[in-house]
Amino acid sequence: MHVVSQLLELAGIGRDRMQLRWVSAAEGQLFADFVKELSSLIGEKGGFDPNEYQLKLAAVEGALNSPRLRWLLGMDRQLTERENVYHQKVDDKLYKELLERATEEEYQKSLILEVLRDGPQSVREIAEKSGLQIYAVSQLLSEIEKAGLVDLHGYEGTTPKFIRLAA
Amino acid sequence: MSQTFEPKILAFLCNWCAYAGADLAGVSRFQYPSTIRVIRTMCSGRVDPSHVVEGLKSGFDGVFVFG
Repeated sequence: MHVVSQLLELAGIGRDRMQLRWVSAAEGQLFADFVKELSSLIGEKGGFDPNEYQLKLAAVEGALNSPRLRWLLGMDRQLTERENVYHQKVDDKLYKELLERATEEEYQKSLILEVLRDGPQSVREIAEKSGLQIYAVSQLLSEIEKAGLVDLHGYEGTTPKFIRLAA
Repeated sequence: MSQTFEPKILAFLCNWCAYAGADLAGVSRFQYPSTIRVIRTMCSGRVDPSHVVEGLKSGFDGVFVFG
């Protein structure tokens, strides 16, 4: 849930739009209060237009489904409360930092992949559409290329154009 | 249509906790806004992050998970 709210924040949707609360079966009043409070919170934020955020929502989804994040989330307890294969226990804080960094990276990678759905594009075009820095795009792009998700499509003049591979 | 904006919210309720809580709220006639659309899950742990994204994609203004 931390990861989801971080992703929503990164996408500019705002973490407030997703809320998690604990209500037991005996707490009807508490439930009513939560619904009242949170509804007015969302009400203040106003309507949400999914079309406006189509690209970013797709990127959030892509990031959530990335093996790296799934793996990190699945191993959380194992690594911070028990130990890894080298019998080392991972510090809670360190793990959280790592997860946050991974979340941001996976989001940006996924965003680049989403942008590339529209056909072959240069680094500059990708940066413009995704709102990321050109330097960051080229760095991430080489990483995704290594993972076999994008490839060099060809040159337009001297500008390299990249294409998204299957999936 | 000068009414105040009423958000449309998707709510995932755990069958054993919040769903029963919501039921109780109904039975005891506690007033709460009719903004939420409820999906009952067998456990709030069943709610996958992608469900949240899917909800936002389908045009909900917010997503709540009650467990």
